[in-house]
Amino acid sequence: MMDLAGWHPIAAATDVVRRHVFHGQLLGREVAVWRADDGFVNVWENRCLHRGVRLSMGLNDGRELRCLYHGWRYANRSAGCTYIPAHPADAPARRICNRTYPGVEAAGMIWSAVAPEAEFALPEVLVGTDPLVLRPVSVNAAPGVALSMAEGLVPGGSVARGASVLFGQAGLVVFVQPLDAHRCVLRGVLLRQPEDRIAALRDHDGLLCALREGIEAAGEAAPAPLEVSFQPVDEALGQMPARGVGGGELRVQVTRKWAAAEGIVGVQLRALRGVLPTFQPGAHIDVHLPNGMRRPYSIVNAPGEEGYTIGVKRDDAGRGGSICLHDAVRQGDVLAISAPRNTFPLRRDSERVLLIAGGIGITPMLAMAQALAVQGIAYALHVFARSAAHVPFAERLEGLAVTRHLGLDAAQTGAALSGILSGYAFSHHVYACGPAPMLSAARQIAAAQGWTEEAVHLEYFANPEAIDDSSAFEIALARSAMTLQVPAGRTILQVLQENGVDLPSSCEQGACGTCVCGVLEGDVAHQDVYLSASEHAANDRIMTCVSRAKSARLVLDI
Amino acid sequence: MKLYDFELHAECYAARLMLSLLGVPHEVETVDVYPEAAHLTPAFRAINPLGRVPVLEDGALRFGTVQGILAYLAAAYDTSGQWAPDTAVLRGEVAGWMAIAAELAATAGQARLIETMFAQGDAEAARAGAEGLLRVIDQHLWFGEVEGRDWLCSAPHPTIADIACFPHLVLSEDGGISRQDYPAIRRWIDRVKRLPGFTVMSGVFATSSAL
Amino acid sequence: MAQDRGALMTELCNDPVMLEHWHPVVSLEELRRHGRCRTMLLDRAVEIVAQGEGAVVRCEAALVGSLVQYGYVWASFGEAPKPLFAVPEFDEADRRFVVTGVFGVQVSAGRAIENFLDMGHFPYVHAGILGEEPHTEVKDYDVEVSQNRDEILATRCRFYQPKAAVSSDAGAEVDYIYRVPHPNCAVLYKSSPMDAARLDVIYIFVQPMGQERIRAHTGMCIIDDASSDLEIRSFQQTIFGQDKPILENQYPRRLPLDPRAETPIRADKSAIAYRRWLASKGLRWGVIPAGV
Ligand SMILES: [Fe+2]
Repeated sequence: MMDLAGWHPIAAATDVVRRHVFHGQLLGREVAVWRADDGFVNVWENRCLHRGVRLSMGLNDGRELRCLYHGWRYANRSAGCTYIPAHPADAPARRICNRTYPGVEAAGMIWSAVAPEAEFALPEVLVGTDPLVLRPVSVNAAPGVALSMAEGLVPGGSVARGASVLFGQAGLVVFVQPLDAHRCVLRGVLLRQPEDRIAALRDHDGLLCALREGIEAAGEAAPAPLEVSFQPVDEALGQMPARGVGGGELRVQVTRKWAAAEGIVGVQLRALRGVLPTFQPGAHIDVHLPNGMRRPYSIVNAPGEEGYTIGVKRDDAGRGGSICLHDAVRQGDVLAISAPRNTFPLRRDSERVLLIAGGIGITPMLAMAQALAVQGIAYALHVFARSAAHVPFAERLEGLAVTRHLGLDAAQTGAALSGILSGYAFSHHVYACGPAPMLSAARQIAAAQGWTEEAVHLEYFANPEAIDDSSAFEIALARSAMTLQVPAGRTILQVLQENGVDLPSSCEQGACGTCVCGVLEGDVAHQDVYLSASEHAANDRIMTCVSRAKSARLVLDI
Repeated sequence: MKLYDFELHAECYAARLMLSLLGVPHEVETVDVYPEAAHLTPAFRAINPLGRVPVLEDGALRFGTVQGILAYLAAAYDTSGQWAPDTAVLRGEVAGWMAIAAELAATAGQARLIETMFAQGDAEAARAGAEGLLRVIDQHLWFGEVEGRDWLCSAPHPTIADIACFPHLVLSEDGGISRQDYPAIRRWIDRVKRLPGFTVMSGVFATSSAL
Repeated sequence: MAQDRGALMTELCNDPVMLEHWHPVVSLEELRRHGRCRTMLLDRAVEIVAQGEGAVVRCEAALVGSLVQYGYVWASFGEAPKPLFAVPEFDEADRRFVVTGVFGVQVSAGRAIENFLDMGHFPYVHAGILGEEPHTEVKDYDVEVSQNRDEILATRCRFYQPKAAVSSDAGAEVDYIYRVPHPNCAVLYKSSPMDAARLDVIYIFVQPMGQERIRAHTGMCIIDDASSDLEIRSFQQTIFGQDKPILENQYPRRLPLDPRAETPIRADKSAIAYRRWLASKGLRWGVIPAGV
């Protein structure tokens, strides 16, 4: 059996060009290797987890890789699925992530390993060199056969013991990349840059081609290809209907904090180790603050960008979360955050998308606008703010289709919204995030102009309604076989959590949609602003943080 | 102008691609090549005695080989003069690659017809012949990248040689020839797909934008 | 890669599920054209020779059970093959039956059938013909496994199609019904642009040559007197030609039956039912059985 732990060169750095997907192989495992526009080299199993189609035929748009078969999009770095076009209204609730292999770019080559036991270390012979990478030469012969035959054919050849490396005279080193049991690639490098680069490349290419000819002509019987078994997907993913539950906490470092606008700080977060989970436009994270509070913030990143960036508006009248982030949190601090959750998913099956942002409501709209721009879907971003100085992330707005509406009063805002929302047509969608009065106005104007309820998507910062928690009722948990009492003054969510039932939650005021739960029986007294009127009427879901029962009993699908 | 065409035919694709790249308006008449073999009927042999598609008709002129069609279109309709350049070096290079395109048709193209449409022949021998050619083409394109040349010929732009070779290379998998071993060919395929006026055929997909 | 082929051909299929079915081996049209046809079925070389209105099928000189139906010669190595499924529409006198051709594909039969059932790929693989971005949504539909007929039925399927009607350039939702009455055969019914009350029938009959190599026989049985056979054939060949590179780039080639091998979504309901149905039959040949 071949050793799966070793690191091997699998491509030259120059193989992985902009907006291209390289088709490679290591020890029987096919890989799709692609470089994002930010330079990061992704090494992924060459198989879309949906239906097994090779990702090497996919499309590299610089930030995401799109599978050719069903258009599923996978993010740079994390390999997580960001969008499933067949279900445009759903946030991919489940964490679908392609299998990745480690990839390191060093000495002009991309190195990877199937099952590494140690971190990558550049082979001794290459340390401190600036090598010239020769043209790779693939050989139809077993790697071991190629190596032992090459030893006799390369002038001054000797094989390093226990390694797939051959040393020749004049600074020639040949790595034998095992594609499979019966095939390999000779990857030669010259340890010193020669004077005439092209002549040296041609000379040594001739040598390696002759080597290949000799090896293949010997006609040693090739062993059977390696058996490759594919790792099964998570059990939850194998079953069709599943609802996502936010994962555990992640540790991140504040790598940058800056004044993004009047009263707004930008905070850039990076993983302490590895890669942060994939986010979709519209998603938020919960930030656990040093003062013990936990607050949701929308991610403003463009697709495939490293880390998460959030924008935080100072709210002196608020509950203290923003003040803590403004005053106490510093660059270099380590914070705990939740995995991204998306309760404000962006449909991308639209002919045209309107994005309306009020104040700090620009944060999810920025992520959406950047995603739509990358994907080439028609959109317009309308930003409402007190003044130009109150609009954050100017650098991200550059190049986006943005219109600024500055310093408008309520009546002027209404008039502007009327103009923006005129001309509704089939397959148009509007997304808005901002202060409650603005969203209420947007909802009314849209309805008056013929927008269907399904085409209007609003995200509230907070629930403007006063919550009535005076009722008392019983809840039965269908799947957990438990019956619990909800007294006046306590919420369903609190009662569930007190009884060890883990339901994710975030804003806890009926605005964000995180703590949704299915309703099987009973009448719901809705008090949230997340669900639409028709969703309220359907009576099949409840926001457990604020809504209650009209009937004496509710049966919940949990 | 009229093209006698069969959608799944590699050389018909070369003709369609050239027409599209040059933006030449034309009509298409589909010939029922598979499974009806309409190209072998006396009626079609009256149009092309060789009994094959593509055939290009321009007024009273008729061209019944893909090499003839590409050369004629470039000479008659390419105002830029780039597709069939007339320097001595480039003429020689283009002629050489046109010959290799014909060899690709006889190997990779033949393997495709055997595997996909059950033509008679030895698929293994066809693939072995194609492998020899693909190794040489990949090497040529790799050194092209090193030397700052993107295309088969030494001109700083594509020529009819690229168009003649492209269908056989991009459709090689139909004949059971993986392109995994030919990374420089794979990159050149992306470059061809990004030419303004590029058009796909059934079985060939567009690539992502370069910008 | 060339080196990989052949290794799978050493063992002959002995899976009773496959042996006990009728399999298409050649269309009468193709047989008439050449008089005989040499091909593979379940790893075995077979020869079909036209005889009168019908045909004789032989494998290594031994006679193989055969019948002629739906314009094809069907063969089986079984003692008492399961009766061939019924498609009543094929017998309707005013329909045209157009054989659109047979294509060799390097894939398992299961992958080919699953692709035939799939609507989600229309805007990507058949862009501008069967679907078009941004209209990518697969709306909820119904799937049942009919116990008495032993087949899969997907109904209430709808998908946005550009230029849905012959008479206009506008896109519209098109209705589909899918039937899988045989592990390797599927039929789809689609609203006819000619007659709102009736449905066109499009079929795929897969001839499994080996576990990872098929002949896909496709055709249509439609209400249309405007299009020529040539137009209908070209259309269907274009569609199949677009699917082919996808099929040949599915990895692994055999259809995995373990529910955790790949990631189904709601749009894949019919594929999930299909995989479960094959697993319930105990099929092992041409698939990767669960728990392997
Ligand atoms: Fe398809």
